Amino acid sequence: MRMMTPLSWLIGLGLMLIAPALLGGSGAVYSAFVLIAIFAVMSYGLDVIVSDLGEVSLAHPVFFAAGAYASAIGSSRWGFDPISTLLLAIAAAAIIAAGIGIVTLRMREFVFSLVTYAVTVVGMTLAANWAFLGGSDGITGIPVFNIFGYSALTDRELWPVAWLLLVAALYLVRCFRRSRLGQEAMTVHLNPRLATMSGIDPHRVRIQVFLFSAPITAAAGWLYSYQRAYISADVVDMYFLILMLTAVVLIGRRILLAPLIGVALILCQEKFLSFGGYVDRIILGSVLIVILSFMPRGLAGPAFDMLRWIKRRAKNINT
Amino acid sequence: MNFTQQLINGLVLGHSYALIAIGWTVLLGVARLVNFGHGQMYMLGAFVTWFVMSRFGLPYLVAIPIAMAVGIGVGYLMQRTMLQLTIRQDLVSVMIVTLGFGHVLEGVAALFFGSTGQILDTPLSVRDIYIGDIWITWQDIAIIIVAILFFALLKYVVEKTRVGRLVRMVAEDPKLALLAGIDIRKIYLGVFAFEGAAVAIAAALIAPRTPILTSMGFDQVIITFVVVVLGGIGSITGSYVAGIALGLFAAFFGAYVSAAYSTAAMFVFLIVVLVVRPGGLASRPGAH
Repeated sequence: MRMMTPLSWLIGLGLMLIAPALLGGSGAVYSAFVLIAIFAVMSYGLDVIVSDLGEVSLAHPVFFAAGAYASAIGSSRWGFDPISTLLLAIAAAAIIAAGIGIVTLRMREFVFSLVTYAVTVVGMTLAANWAFLGGSDGITGIPVFNIFGYSALTDRELWPVAWLLLVAALYLVRCFRRSRLGQEAMTVHLNPRLATMSGIDPHRVRIQVFLFSAPITAAAGWLYSYQRAYISADVVDMYFLILMLTAVVLIGRRILLAPLIGVALILCQEKFLSFGGYVDRIILGSVLIVILSFMPRGLAGPAFDMLRWIKRRAKNINT
Repeated sequence: MNFTQQLINGLVLGHSYALIAIGWTVLLGVARLVNFGHGQMYMLGAFVTWFVMSRFGLPYLVAIPIAMAVGIGVGYLMQRTMLQLTIRQDLVSVMIVTLGFGHVLEGVAALFFGSTGQILDTPLSVRDIYIGDIWITWQDIAIIIVAILFFALLKYVVEKTRVGRLVRMVAEDPKLALLAGIDIRKIYLGVFAFEGAAVAIAAALIAPRTPILTSMGFDQVIITFVVVVLGGIGSITGSYVAGIALGLFAAFFGAYVSAAYSTAAMFVFLIVVLVVRPGGLASRPGAH
């Protein structure tokens, strides 16, 4: 991805914008593209935690749900517009992330993961039982996405918004990886002792990365609430966690487009090559197992090796 | 609300929690690994017991070893698949892989057993005992007896036998154990197989208390996690005590405060404990 110039990025993103129309422009295609964009943004939040910080956060479904619920409550009960609900979603996720960050300050590896798992369980219980969040009935009556006179009644109309959100997430993650915080996160991940000796405070880095990551996932939840027009406790389902994790590791870690491609592959299988819910579940879990156990660098690893081999062969032939 | 009844419910629940957690206790104590598929392995153990009894009409005492054999097979397969990750101590990947296994097991179980709830009736669960206002089943008594025996046996094996010493050596320093000629692969495979067997026997005993669903694994892994962490990671006695304490907490909280929020309350308690004593209740203050 380093070789990509700004122009090629612009062309690529422009092609992505018109891709649903090029693929026939049916409702199903637009729906798939909107969901791919939303779930990819959701996964980018987790990507920086797994790929850059080197931890496994299992609390990200809560950030996704926080964004979805904040948006649903803000729009349906308080009459907020999409910009206000987005700010509300980001604020809600940031508050939760700060709380988790402070609680888990001294925890690492599996204890950290287990506590974040606990947060998801608490979130699930609250979503299913707390009347303020609609309890088991959920929240209905989410109005149509309407901003500056642009109304998105269908997935076709929502697609430019989803595309913009995706572009923003890509830009943010790219900037993060080039930033001081991104480099500090990698140092803490690869060599915590060296990080401390270099004057980096791992606790501060972890909280800051968490605060950066959670709003990205929450923003996906924000748009998801408008796309579905109904939000209930199933937004905290384990499916979203497995989807995020698989998307993050499928292609390879620390590759900017990897979560997007990962989500696209998974959703295309589920939407267009589905074998039924249970078999799809087995496929998704098996992909996760096989990739991590036998291809730790993801699908991109062997692909890059192959490219390198071809280049070497070509060089040898020329000389 | 009868206090004594709640006390007995809490004790039965507590022994159930401890029994469910026993495999994880060994796994964490020995391999320093976690298994997020533990709950789904519990679910599978319950369904295999139910299937063997209802489909083939085999007795309960035959169904239990069959469920354990399936548990051993699943545990072995899991560890065989991620053995390289375990040896490399790539904990991040191991955690994600076990989550994946849990997801697969749930899909397989729903496909094979169906997604509707089932009732696992055993000869012990249908026999009630009444002492005044107090009600208990023979199944509850069996849970308490098996949990106590299992914990006592495990403590003896880990602390007094050669196998226990080998396992503790691997837990202490896998590389040094390897240099000392110990086949750490066998230990890791054995520990996962043991976890499969332990969770299957727990499922066969405890699942008759409630309807069984293929989606129920999630709850079990949560309880296991709370028990193991509160008990002090890897501590056998600690897990037993934490299991009983949690069972009593869940019974009284459910009866006097809110049944819907009892799991969430357990977690809030756990989080508070972890912030104050990161090593769990059994650790020395300030230990990690």
